[in-house]
Amino acid sequence: MPTLDLNVNRLERLIGKELTIEGLEYDLQWISLDVEDINVEENTIKVEYNPNRPDFSSPEGIARALKGYYEIELGVPKYVINDGEVQMNVDDSVNTVRPFIVCGVVRDIDLDEDEVGTLMNIQEQLHWAVGRDRKKVAIGVHDLDKIKTPFRYVAVKPDSISFIPLHGDGDPMNLEEILKYHDKGKEYAHILEGKSLYPLLIDCNDQVISFPPIINGILTTVTDSTRNLFLDLTGTDLKAVSLALNILSTMLADTGAKIESVVVNYPNGESLITPNLESLKWEVSVDYVNNYIGLNLKESDMIKCFQKVRMDAKKSPKKGYLDVWVPAYRGDMIHPVDFTEECAIGYGYSNLPLTIREGCIGQYHPIQDFSNKIRMIMIGAGYLEVLNFILTNSEKHYDYMRQEHEEKKVVQIINPISKEYDTTRTQILPKLMETLLFNRSEEKPIKIFEVGDIILLAPKEETGAIRTLHLSAVTYHDDANFTEIRSTLDFIMTALGEYENIIIKPGNNLTYINNRYGEIFWKGKKIGEIGEIHPEILINFKLEFPVAALELNLQDLF
Amino acid sequence: MKLRLKTQVISILKVLQEKDGDCLASDLARELNIDYIVLMSAINDLKDHELADFKEQDVDQISMNEEGVNYIKNQLPERQILTYLAKKNIKEISLEELKKQLKSLDDKIFYVGINNMKKNRWISTSNATGENTLFVITETFPPDTELEKFLKTFKKKEIRDFSQLSKEEIIQFNLLNKRKLMKREKKTRRVLFLTEKGKRIDILKIEELKQVSKITTEMISSGTWKDYEFKPFDVTKPGPLLKGGKIHPVVYLINEIREIFISLGFTEIRGPIIESAFFNFDALFQPQDHPAREMHDTFYLKNPKMAKLPKKDRVKAVKDTHENGGESGSLGWGYEWDEQIAKRTLLRTHTTATTIRRLAQFYENNEVPPIKVFSIDRVFRNEKLDKSHLAEFTQIEGIVIGENVSLCDLKGIITEFYKKMGFQKVITRPGFFPYTEPSMEISVYYDKLGSWLEMGGSGIFRPEVTYPWGIKNPMRVLAWGLGLERLAMLKFRRNDIRDLYINPIKWLRQESY
Repeated sequence: MPTLDLNVNRLERLIGKELTIEGLEYDLQWISLDVEDINVEENTIKVEYNPNRPDFSSPEGIARALKGYYEIELGVPKYVINDGEVQMNVDDSVNTVRPFIVCGVVRDIDLDEDEVGTLMNIQEQLHWAVGRDRKKVAIGVHDLDKIKTPFRYVAVKPDSISFIPLHGDGDPMNLEEILKYHDKGKEYAHILEGKSLYPLLIDCNDQVISFPPIINGILTTVTDSTRNLFLDLTGTDLKAVSLALNILSTMLADTGAKIESVVVNYPNGESLITPNLESLKWEVSVDYVNNYIGLNLKESDMIKCFQKVRMDAKKSPKKGYLDVWVPAYRGDMIHPVDFTEECAIGYGYSNLPLTIREGCIGQYHPIQDFSNKIRMIMIGAGYLEVLNFILTNSEKHYDYMRQEHEEKKVVQIINPISKEYDTTRTQILPKLMETLLFNRSEEKPIKIFEVGDIILLAPKEETGAIRTLHLSAVTYHDDANFTEIRSTLDFIMTALGEYENIIIKPGNNLTYINNRYGEIFWKGKKIGEIGEIHPEILINFKLEFPVAALELNLQDLF
Repeated sequence: MKLRLKTQVISILKVLQEKDGDCLASDLARELNIDYIVLMSAINDLKDHELADFKEQDVDQISMNEEGVNYIKNQLPERQILTYLAKKNIKEISLEELKKQLKSLDDKIFYVGINNMKKNRWISTSNATGENTLFVITETFPPDTELEKFLKTFKKKEIRDFSQLSKEEIIQFNLLNKRKLMKREKKTRRVLFLTEKGKRIDILKIEELKQVSKITTEMISSGTWKDYEFKPFDVTKPGPLLKGGKIHPVVYLINEIREIFISLGFTEIRGPIIESAFFNFDALFQPQDHPAREMHDTFYLKNPKMAKLPKKDRVKAVKDTHENGGESGSLGWGYEWDEQIAKRTLLRTHTTATTIRRLAQFYENNEVPPIKVFSIDRVFRNEKLDKSHLAEFTQIEGIVIGENVSLCDLKGIITEFYKKMGFQKVITRPGFFPYTEPSMEISVYYDKLGSWLEMGGSGIFRPEVTYPWGIKNPMRVLAWGLGLERLAMLKFRRNDIRDLYINPIKWLRQESY
């Protein structure tokens, strides 16, 4: 989850109310912010915000919500956008590359150090939260006074144009070179992979403003003396670029700057005037919201709830409905159900009553029930329960146990981060051997068991595999032998009432010592293995005493 | 009534009568070759019958250690070496050579001897010849030193009172004490004596009480057990470790939570571990380009590679929901949904995949609400293991399918659930989960730490999630979930989450539930 450092003094300035750290720590949770950390000395609070609220990526955005929570300001925040003269002409060459662009102009900025930090940070956060790491949205912020309108958004051949990129070594590079040698180029080249043309922003004198989504030109670098900003947001989704622009420009407006619109002329003849901060209207049923939350609010009370979360609301001409306006910096309202949560937040989660739904009779899953039955039997037999992972490592699982395996016949993980895991277990025994290895210096006898799932490939099954319940038990001490484990098996089978139905047949298995190994058959079907573990395996697991073991498939027994 | 005493007590009484006077408890114990504690317990028996008693005296004693006793007879090492040199008429010899010749002497003792010979000015040593060499400097064979004289006044096991030593003797004692040949002990000793009654009593008239340590079958059947007294056990001592069978603490906790669910009317469900992306992600309205679906979080599989999807019309319902909201009334995500991506297999990242399968079953069987189900089961994340992360862990999840169920109902059931788990104070606050709306985060107050802990998330499944399975307003699905391991770490006071699955047997044998 993304986080943000909030300076309490700055919040006080933005909200116009005295605040304390303790007070904020309590209040922030009710507008869905998580307090991560508190720094009393610096008077800051680190908060975590949810990915559906990119508008919380600046203190300005959070201040807006807090003003509603404290009832200092209700309803949709009002912003003035002046008509500007800047034009952006979109060339149809970008259609197949990165089709959308929206722009904005911000005048008379006067950012202090803290606010400049916020501006950098909010870009980072929006790139991530809305922009899918620049793939969907990339943001450029420029010094407007260095360039001349009208601007053009075009797509050009990779080697056709050179310019000096920001954070380079000061020499002009062409677009192809940037992707190969520039740090940011290397980092984001994958977004343009396979494209024959690359997007470019230029001004009316063909000066390069930016090579989105990679890097800006050095020409428009923002410095202390920059007074007017030009914002460009390019991307693959018009809704997303517009949302990011709205969040960015409202944040800047909250610092006291003036927003000016830009006319973006698309090749199909359509023109967008951006940013467009008009609120979107939804019709919301009062009954629906009440029923969803479990309240019985009157229309006027519900209107107040929406106003507290910075939405406008009033009675709709349609009976039983409210017209609710969503501020343009919110992109997370996609269904009427989204208004239920807003209303609940406006009402206050802490004020919601507790109600209980009666009905239904609970029932255990038969497999879990059966597992517990096996546990009781094993404990009676004096075995200690252990728990291991289903994930495993094929070397330990097969090679250490002297078993062959074909990659095609086992579960294979494509991309494990840890080399310890590349498959899932097909029996429990190897895990118990690992447990013995880990505990080999503990007091003997060590008698342990595990009841749990193993995974088998099953091409006919829906997901190509099934989970199956297994039991494995091992006994480890200087006298451990077949007789002891055989007694254990007999004890289990007797307790399950299946003793009459099992037969042990001698067999061959490389995991076990020859002549001290048997296959367990239940009603004619092989369900398990029992025997003394082969000394080579004892050495693989660094053990110095004999191990007698059994492994049973319980799936058919319950 | 006739006096009955244990055999041993009677024999001790007899010895005391024969001695006809006070004696030291420690001496008597040695004399009779019995444990001091056993003797004192016998004396206490006699005391109970007013036959004997003891008084305590503080003493300050010195005595020889074993090595010292050895030197009384065989001389101190310095004298042993000097005697050897004199006998062989050696005046000059390298230490190495001498040591070789005296190989019966322990290395350490040899050097102690050499050092003391130097102190006594019998010899000197020098490196001048390039090799450490000893020169005898005493002209004559010296008489016993004061130390040797003092040593020879001792008998083998003799104990003397420190207070009786003269000034000169104290000096010599201190030297021997420093050489660890003698020791000084300050202790309280007990002097035993008989009472008048004890002196007069006729031993032959005392009845013997025999002592045994084990009851035999014969003693039980013949009734002779009545004639015996049973040797006491030290009941305060712990017994040896019993290496018995026990349920794993995590399983115990799982079973406790299962009980809570059952008591609230929930039925346990279980689903595949190898899952399709369809049930794990798509059916939860998780867009296909969502970062949470990426490789670094999810174990995707090479084998099995592709899963089958459910019936065509349900797949289409999910596809439509992603693309344009379908029947759910949502705007959808507005992208082209790819069936192939949904077919990918993976190790499920949450048990919610199983929950969705339950919704599918609900649809398939035309079931009627209310329905309450839960699962406590393994899930997988492609993460590096560390103190607080596992690649495989356990999720607890509960859902309620019902008509008109609300956020307040969810708050109610969650609060009840956590109360049963022992958390009396529960806070629910707004939160965000991609497939619930409204969403609610849960914090509980943990008395033992005196702090609030985040303990899971909850919400009402989004219509985009439920509509494809025929669960339409006002029918809804309440859901909440939490991680089991976090709870287990609190309950079993573990700081490292990995401990829960590496099975330290010492811990398993000791942990209390």
